[in-house]
Amino acid sequence: MTDDILSQASRALRETTQDDDAAARFTRARVMASLHQARRRRGIRFAILIPLAAILVGSTAWGAASGRFPAVFRAVVGLVVGQPKLEPAEPPPAAPTRRAAGAPTKAPTALPIDSAEDEVEIEPGDTDGEPTVEEQAPAPPPAPSARRAPIDPEGSVAFAAYRRAHEAHFSAQDPAAALAAWNEYLRLAPGGRFALEASYNRALCLVRLGRGTEALAALGPFAEGRFGGYRQREARELMAALGGTAPPKPTQVEAAPAPAPGSTGTPASEGD
Amino acid sequence: MTTAELGFESFGRWPVEDREEALVERLQRADPAAVGEAYDAHHAAVRAFAKRLVGDPTAAEDLVHEVFVTLPQAMRRYRGDATLRTFLISIAVNHARHHVRGAARRRAAMDRLATEPSHALTGDPETDARRRELVSALAHALDQLPLDQRVAFVLCEVEERTSREVSEIVGVPEATVRTRLFHAKRKLRATLEQAGIA
Repeated sequence: MTDDILSQASRALRETTQDDDAAARFTRARVMASLHQARRRRGIRFAILIPLAAILVGSTAWGAASGRFPAVFRAVVGLVVGQPKLEPAEPPPAAPTRRAAGAPTKAPTALPIDSAEDEVEIEPGDTDGEPTVEEQAPAPPPAPSARRAPIDPEGSVAFAAYRRAHEAHFSAQDPAAALAAWNEYLRLAPGGRFALEASYNRALCLVRLGRGTEALAALGPFAEGRFGGYRQREARELMAALGGTAPPKPTQVEAAPAPAPGSTGTPASEGD
Repeated sequence: MTTAELGFESFGRWPVEDREEALVERLQRADPAAVGEAYDAHHAAVRAFAKRLVGDPTAAEDLVHEVFVTLPQAMRRYRGDATLRTFLISIAVNHARHHVRGAARRRAAMDRLATEPSHALTGDPETDARRRELVSALAHALDQLPLDQRVAFVLCEVEERTSREVSEIVGVPEATVRTRLFHAKRKLRATLEQAGIA
């Protein structure tokens, strides 16, 4: 009985479903309008996202080239890429040292010497293959794949050299001792986190020691902007004060090439 | 089923398969004009199914709209195993859930207001009245079913599709379709009996 009713109801439902031309045309117009709108939205999204992505990529590339990646970003990249992190090996050393010594943070010269926070942000290993090793340093420039890997396996030796240099430079204000210590640090960690800062501080020591030619060679890469804007203005001012208005070419200063900080014409025995 | 639903509505120089193949290619390239052509060719079948499934013309139109708007994205998973029409019905099934709920809510509201949407008339008042009663009772009974069983019943019993076709549309084995249909019919019978339809 009810089976028959169910069949009748099914047939009734089948037969009552008739086409409505007006509704069909209206729905077609709605469909086409929705598709058009979706297309336009997609276009707008691309118009916004592509420049944003370009900015992100550009700024990331610039950050990598100039060594201004924030430490957090480097840590994240290290995690993603799976490379060992540098932070545990070389914790930021400057601030506690300064506080303990109670020394002024200014260098003897008129040049501004940045605080420890600036130093922590430096990533000299990202300077696009620029050698950061001193002439006498035995280790070759770090390979691109090993840029963030610590050169000094222990880390503590390079760190100790850095601390010594920092103390001699900022607390004791002994440029000769500081120069020796900076050289030592750069020899131990040519691709270390503070290599760029160390190279610049080393150049300052050379200025203070009156070794003008070497100082010009050491300041040259900074003034040329090889490390982005890092210390470029100060280096130029210093070079102008030293009498070298333009960054000297390595051949003018000395025979050895001086493309990167730490490698700009420092003899092996210098400052030691 | 109407001739349009069976795929005989469009005539041209090319065989239907070739034209459909070309249309599918254009749809896969997300060509909006191709969506318009697909609509012209298949909207009747999709609309008929939508109306039978949700039992409400407004909700059915919304479902048809959604099917064709999402067609370019859906074409990414079209492998050519089934016809484009079957694929469109399967998209409708996938998007039917909230439209069915909306239609059921609207029907309940209509009941409270004691009004019924009009259905096609035959010209014979007695037949029309009986048909309206059956359609209304079946629509209410269908609201009591889970969506899977509802889809199986509409496709198999109302649209008179084979269980193989239905299994292609809903993407389950034929045995599952038959089981769903069995349970759907049992529940519908009980519901119609309770409603005093005889």
